[in-house]
Amino acid sequence: MLFFSFFKTLVDHEVTVELKNDISIKGVLKSVDQFLNIKLDDIQVVEELKYPHLSSVKNVFIRGSVVRYVHLPSAAVDVALLEDATRRGTWNSEMG
Amino acid sequence: MSFFGLNSRGPQDHGHPAQAPGFGAAPDPFANISQNQGLGQEDNDAIDFDDTYDGLGDQLQEADDDFNDDTFGGGGITTKSVGKDFDFYGSTSKVTDAINEEALRYNHHQPSSKAIVASSSPSKHASKAFKTGYEAYKNPGYIPDLQVDASLWGTGPPQIAEDYGAKRSSRGAGPSYPQSSSGVPAKKMMSLEEVEAAMRSQPKRPSPSLAPQQQAQASGPFAMPPMQQQAPQVAPPQQAQISYPQQMPPSRHETEQAARPGDFAQAPISIQQRPQSDHHVVRASQVLKVELPARSSPATQAPQVAPAPAQILQRGQNAPHQAPDAQASPQPRQILQNPNRQSAQFAPRPPEQALPMQPQRRAPPSGQNGAQVSVPIIYHPSQIMHLSDEERNAYLVEEAKRAKRNHKIFLLSKGNGLMTPQDKNFITRIQLQQLMTATGNANEQDPDASLSEDFYYQVYNQIENRPRQNPQQPLSNFAQTYLFRTGGRQGGMGKRQRGGDSHMQRMEQQVQRAVEAAKAKPKNKQLVIEGSLGKISFSNAKTPKPLLNIKRHDSSNVSNQQSSKRAQVALSTTDRKAILKNIEAVYSTLMRMEDHDRRLPPPPPEDSDPTAVQKVMDWQQAFQDLNENLWRDLKVTEPILPDSAILHPFIAFLSYPKGKKAIPRIFNHIDENQRLTILTMIMVHLDILDVIRQAQPGAQPSPLSREQVDLFLQAVMPSLFSYVTEAPLNIVIGLLGLVTERVNLSAVARTRVGLEVLTMLLSRAAIVKATEATDDQTWDEWLGIYNRFFDLLEPLLGEVFPASVNAGQDQYVWQFLAATGSGANPEQQQRLVLAVKDRVMETLQQSKTLPPEMAFQRRGNVNLFMQAIGLDVDLLDG
Repeated sequence: MLFFSFFKTLVDHEVTVELKNDISIKGVLKSVDQFLNIKLDDIQVVEELKYPHLSSVKNVFIRGSVVRYVHLPSAAVDVALLEDATRRGTWNSEMG
Repeated sequence: MSFFGLNSRGPQDHGHPAQAPGFGAAPDPFANISQNQGLGQEDNDAIDFDDTYDGLGDQLQEADDDFNDDTFGGGGITTKSVGKDFDFYGSTSKVTDAINEEALRYNHHQPSSKAIVASSSPSKHASKAFKTGYEAYKNPGYIPDLQVDASLWGTGPPQIAEDYGAKRSSRGAGPSYPQSSSGVPAKKMMSLEEVEAAMRSQPKRPSPSLAPQQQAQASGPFAMPPMQQQAPQVAPPQQAQISYPQQMPPSRHETEQAARPGDFAQAPISIQQRPQSDHHVVRASQVLKVELPARSSPATQAPQVAPAPAQILQRGQNAPHQAPDAQASPQPRQILQNPNRQSAQFAPRPPEQALPMQPQRRAPPSGQNGAQVSVPIIYHPSQIMHLSDEERNAYLVEEAKRAKRNHKIFLLSKGNGLMTPQDKNFITRIQLQQLMTATGNANEQDPDASLSEDFYYQVYNQIENRPRQNPQQPLSNFAQTYLFRTGGRQGGMGKRQRGGDSHMQRMEQQVQRAVEAAKAKPKNKQLVIEGSLGKISFSNAKTPKPLLNIKRHDSSNVSNQQSSKRAQVALSTTDRKAILKNIEAVYSTLMRMEDHDRRLPPPPPEDSDPTAVQKVMDWQQAFQDLNENLWRDLKVTEPILPDSAILHPFIAFLSYPKGKKAIPRIFNHIDENQRLTILTMIMVHLDILDVIRQAQPGAQPSPLSREQVDLFLQAVMPSLFSYVTEAPLNIVIGLLGLVTERVNLSAVARTRVGLEVLTMLLSRAAIVKATEATDDQTWDEWLGIYNRFFDLLEPLLGEVFPASVNAGQDQYVWQFLAATGSGANPEQQQRLVLAVKDRVMETLQQSKTLPPEMAFQRRGNVNLFMQAIGLDVDLLDG
């Protein structure tokens, strides 16, 4: 749940989602769910020339399983808190 | 050579098009379009309905259609109201009975409009007849007899066409009739006269000329595809014979048709088509029996129909012998080819309707009507051919669009009504349940549970001060909130929604029960079905199915013990891993303490019951335990081994960024003594702190160590400073004493962290002296320490400044000098000024070359020191 929890705080921030098929999509994170499916708005494909078929797409819903990376806006990440959250995640997994 | 001319060609070429709908199939409005696109242009031309349809259907529409509404329902029959999805066989067949009844009643009640009845009702019978006739095709093993459908070839189809053509004028590539394609396929625009002439010439070369007809029929919606598909399987002679079934006794046929009024003339014919094989004959007569009573409500008509079965039987037997006759007689074929003429001869039609030119004459007005709109409204297919190319194209495009849309709607509506409301509720319940389990248990009483689930989000939002619900309210309430909101909305809709209300309540309860059950269920994460090799592992969003299942050999307790034991050993060697583990332990304890803080019970009132008091006591006890834990983890109290090569565990702890960051949080949870202990520990090891060791001016400081220095100043110093600013003088004396006695001051004085720590102590003393009354003894003690410190410091004063003047990063040095100067006696102050005089002059000199803002800042820095010793920069300038 850590990642879900984390990505929820990034809603309305601009992120770049790199998919497993090498397409990188930059857009405003609109929502994320427990499966880390991602909804992006105002998207732009990073290599637009390479993927012209996506140039007219304005928003996407990305199945979580096809995401390779999500590039985060560093300003919107509280590292210390994230560290703590990670520790808690460890607790939970140890206890559960 | 067969009559159909099918032998020489593949069935797929001339049979029923594979992609075209059969009689039983629901018609696809797209079929014609795609067909036309798929087939060659030539084919298109050959069967183009627009070119060949004689438009007789219009004649019926022209007059005496007052009762059409009664018959067909609905108001104005336009393309719009009727629609474009020619779901004739699909839909209509479902209501055939109803239509038949309707027609019957109509006939019965409207004997005066015989003309219409005579032409329109039979078509219905015909349609019904061949609908029922081809039901047998649903049986896969059935091989149909190859009888030509009289209602198609004879008088039937045109009437159907009239009927449908009128009703469904929108059928773009509409039905093409036998007579339509008699000409050469490539010849597109034939006048009616030409068509007629061609037809008249046909009897001379019966078979070849009829083959194209077949083709044409095959493409048209009214073609008889099943029959033709089967045709090649049958021996040619027989085919030829059965091609003319209704014509076998021509004269009799004629008399029959002539004699019988109205639709009953047609009934036998439609029946006659079928029987060829024996079982079929039986079936046909059965049909007849069924149909007759229903149809011939005028009882007097029945005898007239009666001869038909006999005829059928007779023909079935005689068929082989009669074939030559049929071919020899041109008349029947003429009937076949031009049924309109035939029916014109028979049927008591108004003369003007018999004229084939009628529709053409009528067309222009409707075209003019249509011209008012961009795309003319077409009431009849024949109109299309009178439109200009442009209009026609527009019309066809429009038609294609409509057909497309209807097709889409048709596809979409396939799933309509597939789920009952109960099904939908069921799905909703499942989804709600998922939601509950996904976001945590709504019934969870412990908010910490959800907090640990969703820690980052909750705390982040708390920190960001976003508008959100009470932080104590767990997020898992979301699911419940959702339920409540829905319930509330139901309630808001009024009390008449009782049913829905209780339904929602039931649903809520059900969800809760389901969640309870899920909770109660033993956490069996795997299911091994007996006899199977695999395991089924359950997963949900909370506990996803583990892709890697690495078993720990030790229980966590054992490993903890082991690791702590190891830590004991390893720490003595300042093992990096052990230290990191230590830090993690500290963090872990810290977070538990922070959680514990949140659970702080309210202070019990004076006369509170013992349980409340007990609660507070328990809390304090737990707090104490945690505090001890933390203290132990910090290892501050580990013995200091002087001259040991081994770093003290706490100093090692501080050498990691994580450790530095923990200090402020630690300081929040420890008492004054513990803080002092930590401060003392830092003072004692001041010269071996990483931020001092690695920041010596000699070596080029790595970016990493610079980061460490910054981090130390940001994280650790404020905590220390906050303690020192409230510390009494004797503590400051003690700390400074530690620095002077145990620490290599030259290393400390040359670093930023060292100077700032010293500044912190010196300034505190100065403030204490200025603000608080201190007894002389303590003050003397302080002076003694200070003097010793100053003596140690003086030779180092030349080295305290970092880099050159130009760098401008010496503010903290000036602050240190100011702090030193403020506590110094006049003699010490003079020594101080002498030591840093050059730097002061350099800085002032340099500041004159700088922009005003920076110059002001530099001068301010220097002035800080100058004023501390009772001087001012302005004096130097003057």
